[in-house]
Amino acid sequence: MSNVLLKNVVKNYNPGKARDVLRGINLDIKEGEFVVFVGPSGCGKSTLLRTIAGLDDITDGELYIGDHFMNDVPPVDRGVGMVFQSYALYPHMDVRTNMGFGLKLKKMDKTQIAKRVDPTAELLGLTKFLDRKPKALSGGQRQRVAIGRCLVQQPNVFLLDEPLSNLDASLRVKMRMEIAKLHKELGATMIYVTHDQVEAMTLADRIVVLSPLPPKATTNLEQVGAPLELYRTPVNRFVAGFIGSPKMNFLTGMLEEIGKKSCTVKLDTGNLIKVSVDASTGKPGDQVDLGLRPEHTVMLDHPQADSTITGTVKLAEHLGSESFIHLEVGCTPFTVRVRPGTPAKPDSQFDIGIPADACYLFDENGKAFERTEIFVRQD
Amino acid sequence: MGMVQPKSLKYRVMWTHIFMWFFLASIIFPLLVIIAISFRTGNFSVGEIIPSNPTLDHWKLALGMSITDADGTVTPPPFPVLLWLWNSVKVALISAGLIVALSTTCAYAFARMRFAGRTLILKAMLIFQMFPAVLALVAYYALFDRIGEYMPWLGLNTHPGLIFAYLGGIALHVWTIKGYFETIDQSLEESAMLDGASPWQAFRLILLPLSVPILAVVFILAFIAAITEVPLASILLQNMDKLTLAVGAQQYLYPQNYLWGDFAAAAVLSGFPITIVFLLAQRWLVGGLTAGGVKG
Repeated sequence: MSNVLLKNVVKNYNPGKARDVLRGINLDIKEGEFVVFVGPSGCGKSTLLRTIAGLDDITDGELYIGDHFMNDVPPVDRGVGMVFQSYALYPHMDVRTNMGFGLKLKKMDKTQIAKRVDPTAELLGLTKFLDRKPKALSGGQRQRVAIGRCLVQQPNVFLLDEPLSNLDASLRVKMRMEIAKLHKELGATMIYVTHDQVEAMTLADRIVVLSPLPPKATTNLEQVGAPLELYRTPVNRFVAGFIGSPKMNFLTGMLEEIGKKSCTVKLDTGNLIKVSVDASTGKPGDQVDLGLRPEHTVMLDHPQADSTITGTVKLAEHLGSESFIHLEVGCTPFTVRVRPGTPAKPDSQFDIGIPADACYLFDENGKAFERTEIFVRQD
Repeated sequence: MGMVQPKSLKYRVMWTHIFMWFFLASIIFPLLVIIAISFRTGNFSVGEIIPSNPTLDHWKLALGMSITDADGTVTPPPFPVLLWLWNSVKVALISAGLIVALSTTCAYAFARMRFAGRTLILKAMLIFQMFPAVLALVAYYALFDRIGEYMPWLGLNTHPGLIFAYLGGIALHVWTIKGYFETIDQSLEESAMLDGASPWQAFRLILLPLSVPILAVVFILAFIAAITEVPLASILLQNMDKLTLAVGAQQYLYPQNYLWGDFAAAAVLSGFPITIVFLLAQRWLVGGLTAGGVKG
């Protein structure tokens, strides 16, 4: 097991000509930690993983694995194992040979290879398939072979590049739980790349949110933190909008009254909203974005409703266990989660209650004001 | 398969069949004529398709056997046809093997590595290949004449020299193989490298086994090209016992006396190695080698 330390890592595929893909990446991944990289496509999360694996070189900065400087060390000597998005099984070898390939290259003899491959196959439920070629396996089995091939190498750090993205929904849930179980059993350091935030929220000890690098920014690492920390106290508008499903709603407005404990925001629609944040760094008249999660709105007559806004119903989605109503507030789309089966006729008016402690507030540059209270629904 | 088709399709299928039969006939007919000539008495290029009194004389001469006429005169075989055939097969096998080895490694570099001038070299190779090699015959002669002064075994009138000259024509093969390599997911080799493979091992243990079909195609093409090549071989080879069959067979056709029958037997003979190589290589021409390795 090893820790992974990145200091000011920069990656550019064509220095001098192309734009940086990664910039100012500082990360300290502890031994045995499960870290998930998330971000929209093109944010460089896979690139970051590949630089850790050594499949891409680092343009600038330092990488340490297990306290050893790794910038110029070839992949095989880094003690990392990687599971590829495409599985990358060797099609002309059976499962046994696939899993033992690395050991064979290390000149281990057959009995020793079998001693490692067989228990791993047992662990992953692959014993029956050891003599099959990859093409005779199902998607989930191939996925397990890919993980198994990585396991037999006994790496210090596991790198997983969107390993579940090619599986169907039910299999994905199952494999997700198996990976979580595997992490518990092995206690290994795992770095996992995904764009699926359910995977990120459920698996991660810590989540790393990356964004596509804006031209002048100093870094595209937006926030690092535990899943609920990112959900409750995102540092900026990007993280707030990225973590959470369905997405957070945003309404523009300006600061009306500021305060240490709470403030008042006047929305462009004219509504006055009470917000529990420390807005003392701003001043009245500043442009702000108000963020509100769909699951954090309440009925008008609810005791927690501190302010109200009204929207026009565009579409109602009844999922059985819950219902989502898509509104338009002013000209901005706004989604709310309501009690299952709540009637909502298209084009009718729909009033929503807003608890002050459910609101997020971001300044002109997208930076979050510190929240003073965290909303807990009382039914 | 089970799709509902319009009625007119039946006629279109019929016409296609008729066209294909004509097409097939026009390809097979010349071969039949050559075979017919090789069994026809006397040396005539025109005559019956099925000879009325067939003879094996031309074949005997081609296979190095003397023939005895009715009046008792013995005609020895005029040329060492079997030796020529052996020369052809030797040159073609070695040059095809070397061409596959060279163009595969070349194609790997072009498909997987990034280096300065990569696209320039690729395009230049293709463009240079567009000039017919025949135009450079004099240059080839001069070059190999000079090489022979320093390395006689590689100079004019040697088989290594001819093979060396054939190795110049790999640009198209490089393009073909490069195109195939690019269809193979690079993550396979990356994964192999993480498993501890050197670039050479990743190439030999992962990429090559998956590329067997295209290597077989290139081998066959290079083999056929070497067997049937005349201009270069006729310039570089001079001794009667060094000639390849394609060059040597033309010795039967001198302006005073066209020995069509003997020529035809030699020509049919030169088709055998190609047929055999093709039949042998056919079992490598299979699809689906890469199935299951990466997600579809």
